[in-house]
Amino acid sequence: MSAPVISLRGLSKRFGPVWANREVDLDLYSGRVHALLGENGAGKSTLMSILAGRYSADNGTVIRHGREVSFNSPAKALDHGVGMVYQRFMLIESMTVAENLALTVGKKYGRQDVDHEIRQTAEQYGLAVDPEKRIFELSMGERQRVEIIKLLMLDAEVLIFDEPTSVLTPPEVDALFVVIDRLRSEGKTIVLITHKLEEVLKLADDISIMRRGRLVISEPIEARQMSRQQLARLMVGRDVVLRVDKKEVAVGETVLALQGFSGDSHVGGPAFTDVTFEIKKGEIFSIIGVAGNGQAGLVSAIAGLTRAEAGTITFAGTTYTAREWGMAGAREIAYVPEDRYHSGSIASMSIADNFGLTRLQAYKTGFAGMLLDREKMAADGSRAIREHNIVVESGEDRAGTLSGGNLQKVILARELTRNAKLFIAEQPTQGLDISATEDIWRVLLECREKAGVLLVTGDLKEVLSLSDRIGVIFNGRLLEVIDAHDSDQVDRVGLLMAGVRS
Amino acid sequence: MIEDLIFITQISIKSSVAVLLATVGGIITERSGVLNLGIEGMMLVGALAGFAAGHFTQSPMIAVAAGTLAGGLLSLVHAFFTIALRSNQVLSGLALTILGTGLANFLGRPLIGQTGVRIRQLPIPLLSDIPVIGEVFFNQSPFAYAAYLLVPLVWFALFRTRTGLVLRAVGEDARSADAAGVNVELTRALSVFVGGLFAGLAGTYLSLSYTPGWKETMTGGQGWIAIAMIIFCTWNPLLAFFGALLFGGLTALQFFFQATSMDLIPSYILKMLPYLLTIGVLVLVSASSRHRKSASPADLGVPFYREL
Repeated sequence: MSAPVISLRGLSKRFGPVWANREVDLDLYSGRVHALLGENGAGKSTLMSILAGRYSADNGTVIRHGREVSFNSPAKALDHGVGMVYQRFMLIESMTVAENLALTVGKKYGRQDVDHEIRQTAEQYGLAVDPEKRIFELSMGERQRVEIIKLLMLDAEVLIFDEPTSVLTPPEVDALFVVIDRLRSEGKTIVLITHKLEEVLKLADDISIMRRGRLVISEPIEARQMSRQQLARLMVGRDVVLRVDKKEVAVGETVLALQGFSGDSHVGGPAFTDVTFEIKKGEIFSIIGVAGNGQAGLVSAIAGLTRAEAGTITFAGTTYTAREWGMAGAREIAYVPEDRYHSGSIASMSIADNFGLTRLQAYKTGFAGMLLDREKMAADGSRAIREHNIVVESGEDRAGTLSGGNLQKVILARELTRNAKLFIAEQPTQGLDISATEDIWRVLLECREKAGVLLVTGDLKEVLSLSDRIGVIFNGRLLEVIDAHDSDQVDRVGLLMAGVRS
Repeated sequence: MIEDLIFITQISIKSSVAVLLATVGGIITERSGVLNLGIEGMMLVGALAGFAAGHFTQSPMIAVAAGTLAGGLLSLVHAFFTIALRSNQVLSGLALTILGTGLANFLGRPLIGQTGVRIRQLPIPLLSDIPVIGEVFFNQSPFAYAAYLLVPLVWFALFRTRTGLVLRAVGEDARSADAAGVNVELTRALSVFVGGLFAGLAGTYLSLSYTPGWKETMTGGQGWIAIAMIIFCTWNPLLAFFGALLFGGLTALQFFFQATSMDLIPSYILKMLPYLLTIGVLVLVSASSRHRKSASPADLGVPFYREL
């Protein structure tokens, strides 16, 4: 193989106490597709954002054509031929395709030449777009094409795609693969950040796998004839599944039952369609899926934050239609949302205040319940801090100053005290370190003794460690519900997440 | 009757020049994503600086330059706080108005009742001879002619040049503009400064031409009208012309009713109308754009941070 186009050496990046990347070495070659695999939060996107000049590394070097370079802005990286197609497209929605491209490449081409250049590039690589359309009028696939054209017009040699298929429809995915194939044959270097194994097997020449910020493997795909199963294992690191004591708990009455539940996504990503499942007291039911497959919309509809379109929901014996549900449900469900800093807590308020936030009824006092019993709130907050090993100076600390793990424990502790029949935990350990993860897992298992638990996550390890039953969501549909104790079936979860049903 | 109408229209234009200039400047600033509520303050400082420079030098050119520049300089305070320090744009803008008003009233005290230079109407040969139109449009002060030229010029710059594209991109989506290699901070700082120059020029018009002389708080809220007008004309300089004319027309009607002792519409209602109409336009704009972003620049008022 010829010399690498770009090499990363000893790259490290920390966000607060968390290592997003640690001592990463990586070589990229021209005319090859390099798949960068890993779970959510493994550090893939951060690593590539460093290469594309959006983040700066704390340590390490980037070597381009044998010379050390530093990219401290996206523009600088583009000057060196490195460009990235982000998951959130960097396009100005109210402007036309031509305007967006002129903005980026205008210095290189005169305004008049931009249109001509767009058409030429589009034709050369099979990227059909209408330059006069405004971005908000375009489908996600078309927007992505605009991003690719942008990079090509800037003569990018290294094109990084961050989860490029996560927002595409299946035919758009096929079209993208054709484009990537053509880019490869023109000698471009392609990096594909993904956790969809199908894509890797279809396209990749080289493969790297990241886990918790480190590169575990980086080699040509032919080096070992890897199967999907092996890849999944490498990616998730099944061998490092944490051990948790999982008590036998008697399964009780049905707490929540969805029947043909469908709705708009409201919160971005695809809608969810015809979802049917039930959760009983005493079990953890997991919904696992790659981010953006409809689970966000589904959870917010179950939690009553948004309204579903069709189907019924039965909660604690009462059946509601999708439209009746809503605030009716929200009051009786304990919910730990994915975004712990914005939806889960109020950063500028104290821990004690946050602790009482979803249970203000319990602290009514004086003047016909118009006053708050702040002493009791503070006392309850302090007790929760002790019971859950929450590391803080005092209950008066602002929630925003806590680490992710400690804040998550505060939120969990708060929701636990609501004694709800249903407990929803959405990506509860995303971005947390091992010890915090373990604490949270313990709480969830405890919780299942008193309630039904709905765990929504993209973390296979988490699902395998905690669940009693596992529902796999793909493209808005619950593909299958698998008994977590059936080890033959459980091996298929990873494939189902990638939409493979075999 | 016709006489009255021509008179009212002529006064309308006269009364709209300051608001028009300040509005166009505000559009430039807001299109880049920075909200500047300090227009009233910058106008007042511009008015004083223009009058003072005229008073001491007797040179109209120096007076106009000084007034314009004073508005620009004051706007840099806002630029520093909102762009370099990323503080709250609403607070900084309000502070700028309070600072500008206080400063101008304090420093201007000795100049009350003094005489400065006066920039009079300057009929344009030939054009001013056109019946009605000539009288209405081309028998005005040079400030009005400058405004006639600046409005389409700013529109052209915003929507037909690369500079304008960059400026609008920064106001619509600073992060994407940054990724496209645009210097967001510099673009915003320059837009704030240019907006300040326009406000300064608007103030200078008031103290040198519209009501020559220096009086405390002589802008009389025209800076606030300009802020309403920016929204009213949906951030489009060409529409600003009509918006400002509407305001000028209402002012002219007040004069007319006063002069003729007719009291068809109370002047308080007339003074209220620009704001009421702005609210009306806001409702219309947001109702018609439920599925689309409103006409407002999407990143207006949002400080820009580059991730580390």
